Amino acid sequence: MNSAIRNGLGWSTLALMLTSLFMVFEWVPTEAEQGIVQRIFYFHVPLAWVAFAAFGIVAIAGVFYLWLKDQIWDDLGYAAAESGMVFCTLVLITGSIWAKPIWGIWWTWDSRLTTTFILWLLYGGYLMLRAMADDTPEVARFGAVIGIVAALDVPVVILSVRLWRTIHPAVIVTRAGEHGLEDPRMVVTLLVSLTAFTALFAWILMLRFSQLRVRSRLNGMRREAALIEAAARDY
Amino acid sequence: MGAFAAILRKDLRLEIRSGQSTLALFALSLLIMVVLVFALDPQPSDRAHDAAGALWVALVFAGMLGATRSILAENENGCMRALTLGPIDAAALYGAKLTGGFIFMAIAELAAVILIVLFFNLEIGAALIRLAPPLILGTLGFAALATLLAAISGRTRAGDLLLPVLAVPLFVPALIAGVKASEAALLGLPLAAEGQWLGILIGFDVLFVTLGALLFEHVIRED
Amino acid sequence: MGAPVIEARALTKTFGVTPVLREVEFKLAQGRGALLIGGNGSGKSTLMRILAGLSQPTAGEALIFGEDCRRLGLANRKRIGMLTHQSWLYPNLTARENLQFYAELYALHDGPALATRWIERVGLGASANERVRGFSRGMEQRLSIARTMMPNPELLLLDEPFAALDRDAVAIAAELIRAAIGGGATVLITAHAPIDIETEIESHQIVRGKVIRSREHNRPSLRTSAGA
Repeated sequence: MNSAIRNGLGWSTLALMLTSLFMVFEWVPTEAEQGIVQRIFYFHVPLAWVAFAAFGIVAIAGVFYLWLKDQIWDDLGYAAAESGMVFCTLVLITGSIWAKPIWGIWWTWDSRLTTTFILWLLYGGYLMLRAMADDTPEVARFGAVIGIVAALDVPVVILSVRLWRTIHPAVIVTRAGEHGLEDPRMVVTLLVSLTAFTALFAWILMLRFSQLRVRSRLNGMRREAALIEAAARDY
Repeated sequence: MGAFAAILRKDLRLEIRSGQSTLALFALSLLIMVVLVFALDPQPSDRAHDAAGALWVALVFAGMLGATRSILAENENGCMRALTLGPIDAAALYGAKLTGGFIFMAIAELAAVILIVLFFNLEIGAALIRLAPPLILGTLGFAALATLLAAISGRTRAGDLLLPVLAVPLFVPALIAGVKASEAALLGLPLAAEGQWLGILIGFDVLFVTLGALLFEHVIRED
Repeated sequence: MGAPVIEARALTKTFGVTPVLREVEFKLAQGRGALLIGGNGSGKSTLMRILAGLSQPTAGEALIFGEDCRRLGLANRKRIGMLTHQSWLYPNLTARENLQFYAELYALHDGPALATRWIERVGLGASANERVRGFSRGMEQRLSIARTMMPNPELLLLDEPFAALDRDAVAIAAELIRAAIGGGATVLITAHAPIDIETEIESHQIVRGKVIRSREHNRPSLRTSAGA
C-alpha cells in the first residue's frame, strides 16, 4: 500500500475535519426547533452513511474473495468490518446523545435507529465469527459468506422496520433531516461533514488494511521459509 | 432428485429413530410458553398481540435447535464429507437439509400453536387457519438461514453461541413481518392488513433460499 | 496402459505455516494399483483428501480423470470411492440401512439386495440389522470398505484400509482390492508399512510431505497373508 497515498489521505482528512468542525460549531446557524443540540446531526448522519457504506464494502470484498480466492480481498473485508463497526457504534451513541436533551429519552425504536442497531448486531456477528473461527483455515471464506448474507439482509431490514414504524410511530430522532434544511448553509455544512467523515473512514480503512496486508504477506513468507527449511532437512 | 430424496428419507428415519429430540422440541416450546406467560402476564384484551408474540419467540428459539439438527448430525463420523464427495450438487444438498430442518421446526411449531390456543384462550377457527401462511413462510425463512449458518457454526469454536448471534439479527425482518401478520390473522383483520407483511416474508424466503443454495458449496468446502 | 487417472504436479499443502505436502509429483495410470507408504504426519491422508477434492491445495495442481481436483464435477465425483479414518457411517442406522442409503445416494440398482450382498462379502452378515453405534472399530472398518466399494468406483482412494482389521478381515479386504483392480479400477492405498495384497502394485514412499517413487514394484510373494 502506497504510503504516500495513505499520508495524503491522512492530511486531507485532517483538513476536512477541521473545516467541518469549524462549520458545525461556528458557521452554521442554530436550528430553530431543537437548538444547539441539533448540531450533532451533522455528525450523526455522516457517521450513519459511512457505517452502511462500509458494510457494502465488506460484502463486495466477500464476493471477490469467493470468486478470486485472493487473500487481499479478505483483508479488505475484515478491515472494512472493523472500521465500520467503530462508526456504527458512534452512530448509536450520537443518536442517544441527541435524543436525551431533546426528547428526554436514552433510546427510541424509530425506524432509523432500529435499523442501525440491527446493522450493529450484524457487524458484531461478523466480528464474533472472525474471533471464534480464527483457528479454522476456512475463516476467510466463512466471513465472506456472512458478509454477503448480512449485506443483502439490510435492505429487507430497512423495509420491514419502516413498515413496522408506520403502524406505531415512535419518537423520531432525525427529524431535522426530513423537513428539508431551511438554510443553505445547513446543506453545505452537511455535505462538508459527509466528505470529512468519508475521508476519515477511508484513511482508517487504509491503515487497518495495510496492517492486515503486512500480516498476510508475513504469513506467506513464513510459509515459504518453512518449505525451504523442510527441503533443507531432506539432505 | 434421487440423492435429494435419499438424504431426506435418511434424515427423517434418523429423527424418528431418536424420538427423544422431537420430544425435546415439544418440551422446549412448552417451557418457552410457560416463561412467557409468567413474564408477560397477558391480559385478555391483548390476546392476539401476546399470542402472536409468544408464537414467534417459540419459533425462533425452538427453531435454533430444530432447524440445525439436520445439518449438525452430519458432523458425526465425517458423514458430511461423504455427501460433499457424493454425487449430489451442493445446492441440492442444501435443499435436502433445508427441507429436513423445516420439517423438524414445523413439528415444534405445531406444539406451540396448540399451546397458544390453550394458554391465550384463542378461538379455533378461521383465524387459526390464517395463521398458517405467515408461520409456514417464517419457518421456511428461518430454516433457510439456519441451515447455511449451522454449516458454519458447526465447524467453529463456541458454535452454539455463534449461531444465535448470527441468526437473530438476520431474521429480524421476517420476525417483524411474521408477528404482525400473525397478529392480523388472529384479530381477523382484512387480508389487506396481512398482505404487505406476507409480501415481505415471501421476499425474505426467496432471497435466503436462493442465497443459501448459491453459497452452500462455499461453506461446506474444506480448506 | 490407460491414461493417467491421477496426475499431481508440484502439489503443495500448508496448514497455516506448517508444510504438509511439498511439491508432490505423482501419476497413476488407469487400471493400476499403487501403495503409498508413510509414517504418521507424512502427509498421506492430506494427499488423499486433496485428490478426492475434499481439501484445497495451497499450490500446484492435481488432475483426477483430467479434471482439476479443486473443481471436481458431479460426473467425476461419482467415479471416486474413498475410505478414510472416519467411517462416514451413521451410528444410529443399522449396517444394512447405512449401505442402503449409500446405494440410493449413488442410484445403484436394487439397493436392498446389493446392500445384503456386500454385508455378507465383508463378513458382517450376523450384524446386518444392528446399529453401527454398537460396532467395534474392526466391524466399522469392514462396513466402511463395503460402503466404499459398493458403487464399483473407477478410482479407489483407500487411506489405511487395513487398520483395525484382524487377519480374516485383512484377507477379505485384500481380495476385494484384487477384484477391483482385476475389474479395471485404479487403486491408491496408503499404509504405515509395506503390505502384500498378492497382486502386482507400484510402491512409493511419502516422507515428510514428499513422494519418493520407488523403482521396484511390489510383487506378490509366497507369503499367504498380508500384515497391516
